[in-house]
Amino acid sequence: MNIAVFQVMLLGLVRDRGALAMGFLIPAAFFIVFATVFAAASGVDMRVQLAIADEAHSATSATLVATLRGLDVIDASGDRELTAEQVRARVRRGSADVGLIIRDAAGVGSKAEGESLVIVGDPVRGVAMSLLAGQLQRMHAPSDSEDASAGSGGPAAVEHEYVAGVSADLNHVAYYAGAVAVLFLLFSAVHGAVTLLEEEEAGILDRVLAGPAGAATLVNGKFLFLVAQGVVQVAVIFVVAWLLYGIDLPGHVVPWSLATLAASAAAAGLALALVTACTTRRQAQTLANVAILILSAIGGSMVPRFLMPPLLQDLGALTPNAWALEAYSAIFWRDEPVASLGLPIGILLGAGMLGLALAQRFARRLQTL
Amino acid sequence: MNPSSLAPLPEAAPPVDDSGTAVLEVRGARRQLGRHPAIAGVDLAVARGEIYALLGANGAGKTSLLRAISGRLALDAGSIRVAGRDPRRDREARRALGVVPQQLALYPQLSARQNLSVFGRLAGVARRGLTAKVERALDRVGLAARGDDRVAALSGGMQRRLNIVAGTLHEPLALVLDEPTVGVDLHARQRIHDLLRDLRGDGIGILLATHDLEQANVLADRVGILARGRVCAEGAPRELIEDAFGDAQELTVTLGEAADASGRRLLAHEGLAPLSDGMTWERRLERGMGQAAALGARLAEAGLTVASMRVRAPTLASVVLRWTGEELEP
Repeated sequence: MNIAVFQVMLLGLVRDRGALAMGFLIPAAFFIVFATVFAAASGVDMRVQLAIADEAHSATSATLVATLRGLDVIDASGDRELTAEQVRARVRRGSADVGLIIRDAAGVGSKAEGESLVIVGDPVRGVAMSLLAGQLQRMHAPSDSEDASAGSGGPAAVEHEYVAGVSADLNHVAYYAGAVAVLFLLFSAVHGAVTLLEEEEAGILDRVLAGPAGAATLVNGKFLFLVAQGVVQVAVIFVVAWLLYGIDLPGHVVPWSLATLAASAAAAGLALALVTACTTRRQAQTLANVAILILSAIGGSMVPRFLMPPLLQDLGALTPNAWALEAYSAIFWRDEPVASLGLPIGILLGAGMLGLALAQRFARRLQTL
Repeated sequence: MNPSSLAPLPEAAPPVDDSGTAVLEVRGARRQLGRHPAIAGVDLAVARGEIYALLGANGAGKTSLLRAISGRLALDAGSIRVAGRDPRRDREARRALGVVPQQLALYPQLSARQNLSVFGRLAGVARRGLTAKVERALDRVGLAARGDDRVAALSGGMQRRLNIVAGTLHEPLALVLDEPTVGVDLHARQRIHDLLRDLRGDGIGILLATHDLEQANVLADRVGILARGRVCAEGAPRELIEDAFGDAQELTVTLGEAADASGRRLLAHEGLAPLSDGMTWERRLERGMGQAAALGARLAEAGLTVASMRVRAPTLASVVLRWTGEELEP
């Protein structure tokens, strides 16, 4: 009898392609994505983007820059001639994870000999600052080989300068408020969108689609609701972050509202497109769970993207998570004006509208077979 | 079994009602699903204030036809008109059509009143006047006092009545119902019959797809028998019975053991046609019990084991059986 039950289970599994994929293929794919993301986050494959301004223009500073450019963990392949302000701007914008300004120590009144080094960083990317500081310390450490030391003139004075936010802790809170909000925005949007397939299974679509309200009416109505639900959902998270951790939500209500509306529209549109592309609720939920976890992993909702390998960082730019986090970063860390949010908000709204258009197209299948 | 062994299907489908009062017309409707012709040339018309029952076994094409009428299944050929217009192209035609699916097409987490309000809005009822229509509908189905209860808290019969009335808030000219009494008790079934008669009294033309022969018999003004994707017989229940049997009775012979080839030849020679189980054979009986007794004797003489013989007045079930070769499941 046990064998009979075993046989039923086996045949049920073998004949259910969805269950087979869910059981054996998707976990392996998941493992690859998460292993890549989290292995990178542990520092093994980390490669931080470094912006350098060499104001000392000395042989020592040139050697230091050349040595830094040769390190595996640092990507300093950007523009060679940057000013200190350009370095600060890049770090503030997030196009560099950390910056280094090399000054002539004498010029800045330092007691140290040689160059004075300023590590410019964003508190939320403290790992990148620490990594650079560690590399600089290693270069100036006594060594058996004199050639191994770039700072042959003695250890340079190293200062730290933050270009965004008031504290690292607060910026982490703002970052993760956005990260968690977008993750759950996607889950809630899919949960809401799936009601379309529930309504089909319940026969409600038979009744509704026979009347003057077509499939587009249903999709549009659900889209509006999901956007409103998303805005409230994200608001709850940020209000908690404001009340418990002190992030400055009241001071950024307008840009936050725009970014949240755009992120909610993106989540609603994409969720509806995904659900209307599926034929059963189970299929939609399985696919959505996998898609959301992967989007969130590579989009920065679990681990900041700068900790990921370059390929994943590039792929992350295709996710709504990355653009929502970019918008929230600009608002809460970099305190940028509303006008500077045009790109992330535009991309999020575009994704939402594209998703809505696709959902309307896919929903025609529901209208007439 | 082979239905053609019972009676040949007519080459031409019955003519549609051409009186000009039809609120729902289906002409030459065809739809192939895979290799199977789900709808194979259906013609029917439902007049204003008429209940037309569509009878057919599982797989006969009832659900496909209803889905085509409600616009969810495209036709390969033919046309569907609601109030003279094509519902797939004309929004006004869709406003004139109400659909009551077999499932409870209601939101269980909403109250009865909220459900009616939602479906009224989706059916195009203007906000102004909607409340009055909802209250009238609740009153009509005896749920005025339970209007604020969630659907999930209502009895099966109440849910069924609500399911029907939710398709009528926009006062359609034609109403299509798929098995509206499935799973309800006799009392609830009676109340649903009363409701359908009420709706007919309002002038709504009702197309009722059902397995329930008794329901068709007591409710329908006309019945259409659907087999292999087409309407093979149509008319008032009494007319259909008279057309098929005249004054004759119906003889059913049940064998104790399956007949061999020569036995089957004899049964066919005696005018008996087999049902799907192969053990039950039927024929018209024009000359009463004496004819039945003589036939029974001839069968026994030929070595066939006859377990029982039954003579009865023909019913709508007999007509369906005659046309489709299949008994409808209750």
